[in-house]
Amino acid sequence: MTTTTAEHHNAAFQSSFDATTGVATLLFAMAGGTNKVDRTMAEGLHDALTWAKAQAGLKGIIIGTAHKNFCVGADIDSLVPLVDAQATYDYVRQLSLLFRSIETAGVPVVAALTGSALGGGYELALSCHRRFAIDDPGVQIGLPEVSLGVIPGAGGTQRLPRIIGIQKALEHIMQGQPVRAPKAASSGMVDGLFATKDALLEAAHAWIAANPKAKQPWDHKGFQFPGPQPTSGDARNIYIGALAMLYKKVGHHMPQVEAVVCSVQEGCIIDFDRALEVEARYFVRCAISPTSKDMIRTFWYHRNAALKGEGLPGLPPEARQGADAGGAPEARGDHKVGWLPKKVTILGAGMMGAGLAFIAAEKGLTVVLKDIAEAALDGAKKHCEDELKKKKHLSPDKAQALLARITFTTENEPIRGSDLIIEAVIEKDDVKHAVTRELEPLLAEGGVWASNTSAIPITHLATASAHPDRFVGLHFFSPVEQMPLLEIIKGEQTSDVTLGRSVAFAKLLGKLPILVNDGYGFFTSRVFATYLMEAAQLVAEGHDPVLVEAAGKHAGMVVSPLKVFDEVTLRLGLHGVEQRERYLGEKLGDVPGITLLKQLVAEGRIGKVAGKGFYDYGDGKGDRKIWPGLRALAIGTPAKTGIDYLAERLMLVQVAEVVKCLEEGILREKRDAEVGAIFGIGFAPSSGGPLAWIDRRGARAVVASMRTLAAEAGPRYAPPKLLESMAEKNERFWS
Amino acid sequence: MSNAFIYDAVRTPRGRGKSSGSLYTTRPVDLVVTALQAIRDRNQLDTSKVDDVVMGCVTQSGDQGQCIARTASLLAGYDFDAPGVTLNRFCGSGLEAVNHAAAMVGSGYFDLVVAGGVESMSRVEMGSDGGAMMDAATEVKLNTVPQGISADLIATLRGFSRADVDQFAVQSQQYAGKAQAAGHFDKSIVPVLDMNGLTLLAKDEHLRPDTTVEGLHKLKASFEMLGKMFALDELTKSTYPEVESINHVHHAGNSSGIVDGAAAVLVGSAAAGERHGLRPRARIRAVALAGAEPIIMLTGPLPATRKVLAKAGMTIGDIDHFEVNEAFAAVPLMFMQEFGVARELVNPDGGAIALGHPLGATGAMLLGTALDALERTGKGTALITLCIGGGMGIATIIERV
Repeated sequence: MTTTTAEHHNAAFQSSFDATTGVATLLFAMAGGTNKVDRTMAEGLHDALTWAKAQAGLKGIIIGTAHKNFCVGADIDSLVPLVDAQATYDYVRQLSLLFRSIETAGVPVVAALTGSALGGGYELALSCHRRFAIDDPGVQIGLPEVSLGVIPGAGGTQRLPRIIGIQKALEHIMQGQPVRAPKAASSGMVDGLFATKDALLEAAHAWIAANPKAKQPWDHKGFQFPGPQPTSGDARNIYIGALAMLYKKVGHHMPQVEAVVCSVQEGCIIDFDRALEVEARYFVRCAISPTSKDMIRTFWYHRNAALKGEGLPGLPPEARQGADAGGAPEARGDHKVGWLPKKVTILGAGMMGAGLAFIAAEKGLTVVLKDIAEAALDGAKKHCEDELKKKKHLSPDKAQALLARITFTTENEPIRGSDLIIEAVIEKDDVKHAVTRELEPLLAEGGVWASNTSAIPITHLATASAHPDRFVGLHFFSPVEQMPLLEIIKGEQTSDVTLGRSVAFAKLLGKLPILVNDGYGFFTSRVFATYLMEAAQLVAEGHDPVLVEAAGKHAGMVVSPLKVFDEVTLRLGLHGVEQRERYLGEKLGDVPGITLLKQLVAEGRIGKVAGKGFYDYGDGKGDRKIWPGLRALAIGTPAKTGIDYLAERLMLVQVAEVVKCLEEGILREKRDAEVGAIFGIGFAPSSGGPLAWIDRRGARAVVASMRTLAAEAGPRYAPPKLLESMAEKNERFWS
Repeated sequence: MSNAFIYDAVRTPRGRGKSSGSLYTTRPVDLVVTALQAIRDRNQLDTSKVDDVVMGCVTQSGDQGQCIARTASLLAGYDFDAPGVTLNRFCGSGLEAVNHAAAMVGSGYFDLVVAGGVESMSRVEMGSDGGAMMDAATEVKLNTVPQGISADLIATLRGFSRADVDQFAVQSQQYAGKAQAAGHFDKSIVPVLDMNGLTLLAKDEHLRPDTTVEGLHKLKASFEMLGKMFALDELTKSTYPEVESINHVHHAGNSSGIVDGAAAVLVGSAAAGERHGLRPRARIRAVALAGAEPIIMLTGPLPATRKVLAKAGMTIGDIDHFEVNEAFAAVPLMFMQEFGVARELVNPDGGAIALGHPLGATGAMLLGTALDALERTGKGTALITLCIGGGMGIATIIERV
C-alpha cells in the first residue's frame, strides 16, 4: 500500500519514509523485544526524528512499534543508580525536552499503539498529536510510576490533565493502574480504537493529511482546560479532596503520590514549557528518595524475581506436562510454565474455595468445587457469578464458558483423576486429616495434594497422606481474586517436583509465590499475628485504642490492627495462642492482651461478624466506633504512650518476628520477607518490606530500640541474634 | 510610649452578602467612602492632618484590588495629604488596622489615623483571590482543613453539642434583635446612600431575631459531607489522632453571616485630640497577637487574650465587656469555657451569627459596638478578640475615658 523511498535504522528505531504520502514511520524496535525508555531509546528517537525531519516533503510522522509492546516504560536499571539531584534532573529533563520536540516538530505526529504503552512509553504517546490504539484488551495504557515511588517525569503530569481534565488525570496518575485499550479510549487517554492494525494506520494517515499544521491544544493561544480551570474554586476542591483521600488511605507514606498532585497543581497554572521543569523537579525529589529506592527494590526486582520463581525448584523435563495436556485454550498457551493440571479440585466452598475455583477457571483450568453442604455451593456459585459480572471485557460466550469449567458438587466421584486437590476446609487438623484420607486416593497418578491452611504445620497434616512427597501447603490470601501472594510451604517430605509444580501453578494463576519451610504459622500468619496481638496487648496495657489504631496507619501499615482483628475475629487470635502452645510448646502465662481477648470473646464481642468486637458496628452504613468499654478492661495507665511510641511497638514486634523467621530458616530467601509481608499481610508498602525497614533505620538503632522495649514490654522484643550480629558489623540486609 | 485614644467609631449597616443584598450594587470603595466621610463630618476633621487611612480588607482582588484605602481616601474628598494603606490579616484585619494605628500613634510617629476595614462579600467572593494556603504543596506540609471543620473539631474536643451551638446562635439573634430595636447601634451606624442621596441601607439586615432552636436543628451540618465523604476530617488526625471522629455541628445558622460592610475608627494622640477639639471616648490599653496551631486554627483568641491581659497588667475578671467574634458558635463558647466568663458579658448586643462578619471590617465594628456598650452602661473596660485564618488570634483592650 505504501511505497518506501527511504529507510533509516538505529539501535532503537526502524524508520522509513514514503514520499507519496509524505509520512515517515518510526517503528520502535529495541534489541531483546521489549521497548524501554533508556539512553539507547532516547538517542535512537532523537536520531530517527532528526532523519525524518530532514526528508523532503515530510507531511507527518507515525510512531509505532515493530514489537508486541509499544513501550513499557523506563528501564528500571537506569532508575536505580540515580541518587544525585543534578544528574537525575539532567537525565529527566533531557527526556522531557526530547518528547517536547515531537509535538513542536511542525508536522502532525500520530502514535500507533498496537501494543502496551506504559510509563515513559505512554508519555511518548502523549507527546504525539494523536493516539490511536488497537482494540485489544491485552493492550495496556497508562502511567504506573507511583508504584515505584516516582512520578511521570517526561510530561505525563502536564499533558494528561490538559487532555482529559484535572480530575480524571489525577485519578489515573495517583492510582498508577494502567487501563486496557477500550477503557483508555472511553476516558480520552487515546483518541481512537481500531479493530485492526491496517485500519489504525489508515486512520493515522487520514488524520495526518487532514491536519497538516497540527499543534497540541496547549500550544494554541487561548487554550482552556477541559473541565474546571486550574485556578478555579472547583479545581482547588479537586486538589484538596485528592490529598484528603490519599491521607485517609496512606497518611504521608506515599510522598510520590502527593508529588503528583503538587506537580499537576503547580504546573497547570504556568506556561507549559516551564511547567515541565516543575514536574522534573518533583520527579527528582521522588527518584532520589529512600522510599523510591526501597519500593523499586521490592515492587520491581523482588516481585519480578518471585514471579519468575527465581531460586525456586523448577521442573525436570520428565515432570513437565505439555501444551496438549488438556484444559481450555487460554491455559494451553501457558504450557511454558511447565505444568498444566487437567483437573483441579477445591475442597470447601467458603469464600476462599469459591474464589480459588473462580480464578482457576478464569485461567482456563477445569475445576471441581466440592462441599458437603449444598447451601455453601449455592453461595459459591453466586460468588463466581458476581465476580464474572466484574469482568466487563469478557464476551458473554467467554463468560459462559468460564462458569461451565467449574463443577459444583457434593459428590466425591467428580474429583477422581484430579491432578491437584486443594483442601480449604475448616482449620482443624483432625478434619483435615479425615478429608485427606478420604479423598487423596482420588488423585490422578502423580497428583498433588495441597492444604490451604494458614498455620497448621504441613508435615503434621501430611501424616494422613499416603504420599507425603506429593503433599504441600498452598496458602492463599483472601480475597483471593485480589491478593497476589501465594505462600508455598514445604513439608518435611515434600519433593522438589511437588514444589516445582506448586510454583508452576502459582504462575498459571498469576500469583506471586514465596516458598517457606514448615513451622506453625509459616511466615505470613506468624508475623501477622504479632501485629494483631500486640495491638490487643497495647489496649490491655491502657493505651488509648483510638491512638493504637492511628499508630498503625502512622507507621505506614495498610490497615489499622484492631479493625483487621475484628475482621478476622478475636477467636482467631485465641485459637492461635492455643495452637502455638500445641505445636511450639509456647506457654505464655498471664498476658494482659490475651486476657483481654478472652474477656471480649466471653462477652460475645468476637468481631465484625457479630456486630461488635474492639469496635461497635453501626447498622448498615459500616460506621464503626471503638467500644468505650475497653478502657475499663485495661490493667492500668501506661507510663509511656503517644502515637510514636505505639507505632514503634507495633512495628518492632513484627520486624523482630520476621528476622526470627529468617534466622530459623522458615524463610529461605530474604526477598520473600519483603514480598510476603507486603503482598500478603499489608506491611507498610512504602518501606519496601520489613528488612528494608530495618535497613533504613540501621540495624544498630533497631537493636537498641528492641533492647529498650524488651526491658520495658517483654522478651518478645529481644533482638534476634542475627540482627545483633548485623548491628555489630554495621551490616544491611540490602546493599 | 504615650496613649492612643479612640475619638470616634462609625460603621455602615451590614448588607446581606448575596446578589439580592442591599449593598450589592454599591462598590466596596464607596462603602469605605461612607465611613470616611462620616468620621470627617461628625468630627469636623481637618483631613490634611490625617497621617494615614488604614483599612483592613481580605479579598484584595477585583473590586477590592489595588489599595482600596487610598482610592477611598481620594474619593471621600480627604486631603491629598491623607494617604492610605490596605492590610490583610484575614478576619482580624479590622482590629489589626486599629491596633496598627494605635501603635503608630502610641509610638509618637503619627498623631491622627483613621483605621477600619471593608468587605463586600456579595461582590468579591471569599477565597476568590487564590493564595498559597490552598496549594497542594502547602496542604501536604500543613494538613490544614476548611475553617468549618476546624470549628467542628473545637466543638468535638470541648464537648459542645449541636444543641449547645444552636442555643448560642439563637441567643445571638435575640440579643441583636433587642439591641437593634432599642437603638443600641444608632450612635455608630451611618446609613449608606445612593449617588442621589436616597437610602440604600440604614440598618443591619442579616439578622433574624425570630430564629428558634427547633428551626436551627433542621439544618444539616454544613461540613459533614466535606469531612466524611471527602475525607477532609482525616487530615486533622495528623495532629489530633486521639479524635476518633469529628462531631459536625456547624451550619449557616450558627456560623458568621456573609455580609457587606465597612467601618472606620478615629485614633489619635492626646495632643492631636486637643488640637482638633476632639473629646476622647476611650483609651487603647493594650493590643496583642498570637499564633495558634493551624489545623484547629480558631483557638487564637485564647493565647491572644492571655497576652493582652498580661500586657495590660489585668486579669480576666477586670474586663467588663467582651466582644468575641462569632465566626462559629464554638469560638465564643470555647472562650467562655476557657476563661470562665459569664454569657451575659460576651456579645450582649448579639454578634456575627446574627449581624454578619464582613471579613476586613468586623474587628473595627466590634470595637465600635463595645465602645457604645461601655458608654451606655457606664462600664469601664472592654476586650475585643477575633479568631483568624491560618491560626492566629488578635485582641485589644479599651478603657472608656
